[in-house]
Amino acid sequence: MLDSAVLARCPNCRNTFSTDRSGRQECPACGKPLIVPEPAAPAPGSTTAPPQPAENAAPSPGSPPPESAAGTPWERRAELGFFEAWKQTTLQALFEPGKLFAAARLDRGPAQLGYAVFTASVFWALGQLLSRALLSGQSEQIQRSLRQLMGDRPVSPLMKILLESQHTNSAGATIAIALATPALVLVLLYLSAAITHGAALLLGQNKRGFPATFAACAYALAPTVLAVVPACGSLIALIWTVVLTSIGLKETHRMSSGGAAAAVLAPYLVLCCLGCAGAVALGLIFGRMATGG
Amino acid sequence: MVRAGPPSVHALGLAAASLALLSVAAFLPLDAPPLSLFVCPFRAATGLPCLTCGASHAFAHLVRGRGMAALGANPLGALLALVCAVHLLWTLARIAGLPWAPRTTTATRPLRIAALALLAANWGYLLAAG
Repeated sequence: MLDSAVLARCPNCRNTFSTDRSGRQECPACGKPLIVPEPAAPAPGSTTAPPQPAENAAPSPGSPPPESAAGTPWERRAELGFFEAWKQTTLQALFEPGKLFAAARLDRGPAQLGYAVFTASVFWALGQLLSRALLSGQSEQIQRSLRQLMGDRPVSPLMKILLESQHTNSAGATIAIALATPALVLVLLYLSAAITHGAALLLGQNKRGFPATFAACAYALAPTVLAVVPACGSLIALIWTVVLTSIGLKETHRMSSGGAAAAVLAPYLVLCCLGCAGAVALGLIFGRMATGG
Repeated sequence: MVRAGPPSVHALGLAAASLALLSVAAFLPLDAPPLSLFVCPFRAATGLPCLTCGASHAFAHLVRGRGMAALGANPLGALLALVCAVHLLWTLARIAGLPWAPRTTTATRPLRIAALALLAANWGYLLAAG
């Protein structure tokens, strides 16, 4: 046992973790065995920190963890400023994703979660408001056309709820959607990361543990800024997110392009049923909130 | 089992996702909208159940304490629901001060093959059960 917890770095996945014992142990991220050396004793009379021991240990608990990646702009927002860091991160994710994902640090999970929840929530909520404001006339027109087409034929209950949710626009529903969105984004992000990581594990493509998959999934939500574009914005964002997740996995796990594509697409193929159900559930939940039901 | 401090942000996030899944299973009735409206597109197209058919029933049965019914609906779905519940409870215990975390295992080739075989066996069961 050590006197206090130290930071150690896995030589295999380069994940940094905290441990309170030295010697042989397993990396909590990738599970590979590693050895945490005893911290070197400082030289007599010396007040400076002892030199860094090998690859997998950082003896000074207060010092930043050793990482080869410098960190994304968002992970350096303390020096860049909140909005500048967000802007740079989003632009890099959209136009230089390889550079962004290569710079991501696996010990910055909370920052990555914050970026994803902030970006997706704000732009999703804005998109909802804009769509309701701009497309309300069109939605009534579509409903009229559908009613004419259907005539006296019975409409399925699912279609009925979806249609009813389209033309209701109350302040209460808008506030409820805005409040529920961050929690929904958090849950969906973790479900998506867990499913993608499961696929990567099954395909033998997991090289650096769950934090690497999570970083890829979190920064891949950058295209949700397009959700403010009415009508087609969300669809483009969804496709772009899938592509970015694949690029992210390739960089953060350092896996092959084929492996990354397979890990990202396998859940969509295998779980298409669950995905359809989830999409309909989201539509219904928001529909219910909008109708106040 | 390994000694560990408070749960990481990812452990907390996964616990939140588990809580959301289990809550939906607990509070949404299976025989009323919205869950009753779902139609599996794979089953609609082929007449056969997909890999996850019955998973929502498995979650709903398990949160109501009907273990055998959950296993009957979808064995892997029931196992997943159980994993979600255990992870949620363990994370809460770690927040309360439990100094232990489960030991992570490397996904070795035999383990991956076993997992794929389990998926195939689960689907085989669903196909046989109709």
